[in-house]
This record gives sequence, structure tokens and C-alpha cells, in this order.
Amino acid sequence: MSRPHYLGPTYRLGSEPPPEEPKGIRRAWKRLQPRLWPLRARHGAAFLAAAVAGLGLHGLLFMARLPGRLPTGLDWRAAAALVERDARPGDAVALAPVWAERAREVLPEKLPAFKGAPLVVMAYPRYPLAVEDLVGVRRVWLLSLPEAPGADRTIARDLEARSTGRDGPQRLGAIEVTRYDLRTPVLPLAFLPDRLTSARVRLGDAPCPVRPDGAFRCPGPPWLRVAREVREVDLLPRPCLHAHPGPDPGAPLTIEFSEVPMGRVLRGHTGIVAEAALRGSSPVSLTVKVDGEELGAAQEPPRKPGWHAFEMETTRFAGSRRTLAFAIAAPDSGARWFCFDAMTLP
Amino acid sequence: MQRLAALLPRTGRHRAGLAWALGVLLVAAWTSPAVGISRDESVYFWAAESYATWWSRFLRSPGAALAEADRFFGPNHEHPPLAKTVYGLTHASLSRGLGADHRAGFRAGAFLFAAGLAWLLCLWGWDLAGRGGGLLAPALFFLVPRHFYHAHPAVLDLPLTTLWLATAYAFWRSLLARREGRPPWRAAVATGLLFGAAVATKHTAWFLPPLLLAWWLATHWREVAGGALRNRLRAVPPAFPAMAVLAPMLLVALWPWLWRETVPRFREYLAFHLRHENYPWHYLGTLLREPPFPLSYPFVVTALTVPAASLAAMAGGFLQSAARIVQALRRRAEAVDVRLESLLLVNALFPIALIAWPTVPIFGGVKHWLPAMPFLALLGARALVTAARLLAPSAPARVGAALAAAALLPATWQVQHTHPFGTAAYNEMAGGAAGAASLGMQRQFWGDNMAAVLPALNQHAAAGARVWFQEATWLAVTAYQRDGVLRGDLRWANGAEDADISIWHYHQEFRDREFLTWTAFGTARPVTGAYLDEVPLVQVYARPGAWR
Repeated sequence: MSRPHYLGPTYRLGSEPPPEEPKGIRRAWKRLQPRLWPLRARHGAAFLAAAVAGLGLHGLLFMARLPGRLPTGLDWRAAAALVERDARPGDAVALAPVWAERAREVLPEKLPAFKGAPLVVMAYPRYPLAVEDLVGVRRVWLLSLPEAPGADRTIARDLEARSTGRDGPQRLGAIEVTRYDLRTPVLPLAFLPDRLTSARVRLGDAPCPVRPDGAFRCPGPPWLRVAREVREVDLLPRPCLHAHPGPDPGAPLTIEFSEVPMGRVLRGHTGIVAEAALRGSSPVSLTVKVDGEELGAAQEPPRKPGWHAFEMETTRFAGSRRTLAFAIAAPDSGARWFCFDAMTLP
Repeated sequence: MQRLAALLPRTGRHRAGLAWALGVLLVAAWTSPAVGISRDESVYFWAAESYATWWSRFLRSPGAALAEADRFFGPNHEHPPLAKTVYGLTHASLSRGLGADHRAGFRAGAFLFAAGLAWLLCLWGWDLAGRGGGLLAPALFFLVPRHFYHAHPAVLDLPLTTLWLATAYAFWRSLLARREGRPPWRAAVATGLLFGAAVATKHTAWFLPPLLLAWWLATHWREVAGGALRNRLRAVPPAFPAMAVLAPMLLVALWPWLWRETVPRFREYLAFHLRHENYPWHYLGTLLREPPFPLSYPFVVTALTVPAASLAAMAGGFLQSAARIVQALRRRAEAVDVRLESLLLVNALFPIALIAWPTVPIFGGVKHWLPAMPFLALLGARALVTAARLLAPSAPARVGAALAAAALLPATWQVQHTHPFGTAAYNEMAGGAAGAASLGMQRQFWGDNMAAVLPALNQHAAAGARVWFQEATWLAVTAYQRDGVLRGDLRWANGAEDADISIWHYHQEFRDREFLTWTAFGTARPVTGAYLDEVPLVQVYARPGAWR
């Protein structure tokens, strides 16, 4: 049996309570901190190992997923079959991304159900109304590869903005097909490059006879010719009249179209072909006459690559058929590979 | 068997080097037939055969051959002859001697340079980081799609890279020998001869002496700045006089075109490169035509073409080396050899920085700063080995192998995936070829990707069809025909108007050629094409009736 101490109940001085142990993230940080700071070679090694492992894994995943993000031959054929079945005259195809030009290989150039009506395949980077007229196009079929690396919706947004409605998207493997109905299609009364065969061409007063291939050949060096071509202007394809000005600025190259149905506006574009746009120092002037009366002029500036638009008001001629003449001249014709188009619009 | 074993190198590093060299040689030879003939390579084939013919005549009848030197060395005299002479000799031995096809004969010389590079990378990698370094450094270099591609064509860029690395290695060995009290002359003479071989390969090698001299002055300034003149002169490494004396002698000796009118012709050669034209080059959506070019160009292109994990290892190695120098300068790391570190760093950086200079032509992509990449591979290999040792001191081999696998597996996959379209290869950071096309990067160059459509052309082209080959040279076309890769009845056309078939190689600056074809042929629909990740590289157009 224990007895109480003879000094009475024991008494101890009270000590400070032990600090409260941190919990959660603070606890983890407390343990981790001595390992992380100060920086040592080991940290660099760990960072490198993490970067290599992470990027290596990302690289493997990228390569493994890549085939599934891109269309197969079957996908392309399915898209082509769909467009061939449902497209009609006035339709065109746009590609997104613009490099998806394998489409040209698989899509029909002409629609067999409509007596061979053409189906144009376009690969322009942008489609706002202010940038691309899309002459003669009422509906656009957008073939896009939405999962492809680098793909975005810029082109789809451009088309959406100028459409009244859309059909789709319809997914065919890795290809998405969407049809856009343009709100205000640009439907010319006459697209003059397509009328070249019936035109008269002269250099100064000298006539330029037409050749079997439909091009006009003027007296002088071989580049003095007028032809309906698709040419590169500012890196993009432009169906245009290639008309190199003659060496004598006083003897312009004149292309005359008769019986052209007129509307309220004459719209067109001018440009210099390919690398010549960066050479040559002279502007090129394009003067337009209606029945011999000057309507206006456009000027293609030197060393400013682009497909430059011009527009002339023709309301007073609307509803009639007139003779339209385009006179092309340059103070210095060196490297002036001039190309232009023009159309009369209602 | 014992005799065979006696032929093998005695040390492990040399055995590993030999294994790497043989491996690279065999893989390059095996994968070479798919790689087309580039514009430059076609010219080098022509020059190589001409040079080799001259040397064989020279050995038989020196006097008569001397009179004909200008004629035989006229082809491609804007570039020095060494690599082309090697290609000519391998062609004479393998194609004329043993009946191998001509392309393989010329390229055997290129494979030898690639094998030599692998050997050197293994040796120096082994010196830097032991066995792991020796095994990893060649892998980090060759498992980059564009580098792998450059192991094939008989051109000048990879030989120069090999000889640049060899010169730097021999130079370093000469300094090391002196420091360790051994006679440096052997390594110094080797430096002189290797540098001579480098300048006899490509003009870019002329940058090496100023680079090495600047490095030496910066790292040995105490020895140069003070003391008697005699001592200062003694401090100059013998490799420098060896380079100054031996290299010009070797260049002239190997280049009979310089045997007459030496000085004016040498000036003409230099002038060609000093006034080299700029070819248009597509970069981030802009067609660069004239200087100033963006400083970022070589750095961005490197970042978008080297597989990302390998690039991380290389960048890590670069930073590690820089950190080691800083540590040594703060006297916290006595064992660090600042001179070696800085030599590796300047060689890894200088070729890239040179192309970053805004007035230097940028066409050709990574090939123009290829000499930097072996140094980055060496640094990357050492960084991975060091990381493994630090993170797992008890099992560094396992961790090192895991890191190597993380870096090299995606790289190997990319090499396999992009072959033979090496000039069109982009890494996963770019999004591959597709992502790079969206970014507006140069899609390809050199015209060799046409080889992919030749089987279809042979099968479908009408008999005697006239073909507009565009970016492929006439020499490349005749080389294909000589090897039976292209039908002999197909004829050369100068443009769309006189062609039945047009082979469009995608180049942004040449798009007018494609549109001219549309006009002339009346169609915008290709009959076949070569694509990488759905990105068109080459598309073939045909007039009605020309494609059966």
C-alpha cells in the first residue's frame, strides 16, 4: 500500500506545450523544403529527368495518336462521294487547313450529274467577303480535318459569317464536311476572262491575232501575249487575264470585249504574277472605256504584291450591252507580268 | 576466330565506336534506296565521277592528266573537292568494280563519313561520361529525322560535320597531351590534316580557326598576357601552326583546279560564297527573300525539328556545362575542366549563332548549322548519364537506360515515320509535318522527294511522255534513269506548255509553276502524289491521255 509523500503532493513546474504539428500542405512543405533548397545538382538532374520523361511520353503519345487525327484513303473517298452526290452547279469546295490539298486528287473536277458542271476546289487561307469574292459560287462545301495538328476554325468562321445557313458538319472518319449557303453570292453578268476568245486585242494600233490555244499573240517579243490563265498572285491562284504591257507606253495593250451585259458595277482585281511582283519599278495602269468613253482607271503599284480590287460605277449602262475596252500600259514594262480580272455585276 | 578478335580494337571505347560506325554504315546503306537524289547531290554525282576519272588518269599518266585538270575539275568548282573525290572513289570501286548501282556507289562515301561521325561521337562521349556517354551520344545525334536523312545523300554537310568534330577533338587532344606532359605533335598534326580535310570539303570550315583561336585566347589569357615573348610564343598550341601550314597545302594538293592561277581562282571561290544569293525560304508564314533574316530562325527551326525529349537532353547538357563553368569560376568545383566545357559550348553554339546573324543566307534549314549538333549530342549524353548517377547512385545504369529510352524511343519513331522525307520532317512540338504546314514552315527543299512518285510514273506514264520535273535537275533525272529507277523513254520538258506530265514539288515561292500547269493541262486534279501526314510534298499532273 503506497503512502503519500511526506512533503505533500508532488509539484512540477509546468513546461511549454509542444508546438502544434503542421498538417496537410504545410506539413508536406516542411518536410520537402530542406530537400528543395538550396538548389543542388540533384535538383537539376531531377528537373532534366522529368523534362525528358515528360516530353518523351508526349512524343510517344503524339506519334501514337497521329494516324487517328488524319484522314485515311477511305475517309477521302467517302468525302468525295458525298460531294459528288450532293453538289450542284454553283458549288465549290473549300479546304481547311489550306494544305489539305490531297482533296484535289480525290474530288471530281466536274459534276457528272449536271452535264459536267465544274466543281472548283479552293485553298485560300481566309474567306471574308472583303477578301474573296468567290465569283459564281452559291454554296461552299468545307472539307476540314478538325483533329489535324495545327487545325483551327478560322476558315469555318469566315464561311459562317457570310452564310445564311449551313448543313452539317457531317463526320466521315477524320474529315468533317459542312455545306454553307452564301448569303450574297457574287454572280456576275459577265466574267470577262471567260470571254477572251471573243475579244479583240491590239498593241497600239497593231492587231494581235488569236492562236489555236485561245491566247492572243502581239507583234514583238514572246511575252507580248494575252491569255486566260490561272496565275500566282501574292502566293494564291487567281484566274485572270495575263496581259503584259508593251515596251512603248504610248502604245497600250488593249483588250476589247463587245456586247458585254452591263450592270450597276464593274468590279475587278489587278496584280503582278509571282516573283515579278518584287521586281520591276513601274506601276501598271489599267484604263477602262465603255463604248470609247473613259469610265475610270486602276493602277497596280510596283513592289506591292497583292490582288488589288477596283470598282467602277456603271449604273447608267445597266441593262444594256456595251463594248468594254481595257488598255494596259506601263512607263517601264520590265518584269510587269500583269494579271487582272473584271466582271460586271447587277 | 582468334585472328578476327585480334583485329578488333583493344579498348572498350574503341570497340563501341566501331560497333556504332558499322551500325550507322549498315543502316544508312539499307535505308538509302528510298532517299531521292537532291539537286545538289545530282551535281556532286557528276563532279565526283569527273574527279575520280581524273585521278585515275593522273595515276596512269600524270603529264597528260595535268593538261586536262581544268576540264575534269570544272564541274562544281565552287565547292572544294574532298567529299566529292571520296564519292567518286567509292563509286569507281563499288559501281564500276563490283556492279553496285551508281547511287549506292557514290553514297557509300557518305555512309563512311556518317560512320566516322558515329565513331567520333562514341569516343568523345565515352571520354566525357564513360560507357553511357559513348553509347548515347551517337544515338542522340542520329535519331533526329533530319540528321538521319543527312547520313544518306552524297553531299557536303554531314562530311563537314564529321570533320569539324574531328578537328575539334584532335585539337583538344593536342592540348590535353601538352598539359599532361606528353608530346602534342601527333595530335597537332592530326588537327592540321583534319582541318585541311574540312576546308577541302566545304567553305564553312574556314570559321574553325578563328573560333578556336578566340576560344584559346579567352581561356589562356593569363599565359598570353604576361611573361616574356618567348614564353608567350611557347604557350601557343602547336595545333595552330599545324592548321595554318597543313590545311592550305592539303586543300591545294587535293584540288587540281587550284594548281593553275591559284590565287585568282581561290579568290573566285571565296567570292562565290561571300556573295551567295538568297533563296526564298518559308518561315512562320512569311516568305523570307532578302536579309535581314530573323535572329530567331535557327533556334526556332532547331526547336521544331529535333525530337522534343532529345532536345531537352541537349538543352539540359548545354545548361549543365554552363553551370559547371560558373561553379568552377566560383571555385566550388575544382574538378571541372573549364577549358573543355567552354570548348564544347562554343562549338555547340557558334554554328547556330552564325546562321542567326541576319545577313547570313538561311536556305537549307538545319544542314547549315549541322556542325553544332554533335556537340549538343555530346552534352546531352553526358547530362543524361550525370542525371542518372545523381538520382540513383546505386543503380545509375537502370535509370540511365530509362532516361535514354524516354529520349530515344519517340525519336526513333519519328525517324522511321518521316523516312525518306527528311527535309520535310518536323517534331511533335511543331505538330509534325501537318502542324508545320499550318505554322507556315518550309515544307521541303532539294527536290529529292520526287523519288516517292517515280514508281507510279514508271507504271502510268504514256510511252515517250515529256515530263516537266521542275525541282529535280536534269542530272538527277539522268542518274535515276542510269540506275533503272526511272524509265528511259521518258523525256525532259522545260515547262508546262511542252510537257505531258508535270511533277509539282511544293514550294511556296514556285506556286506559279503549279498554276501554269493547271492552265496548260486544263486540269487542277493531280493523278498521284507523295504526302507526309497528309501534307502534299509532290503532286503529279498529266494531260489527258498521258497517264494510263
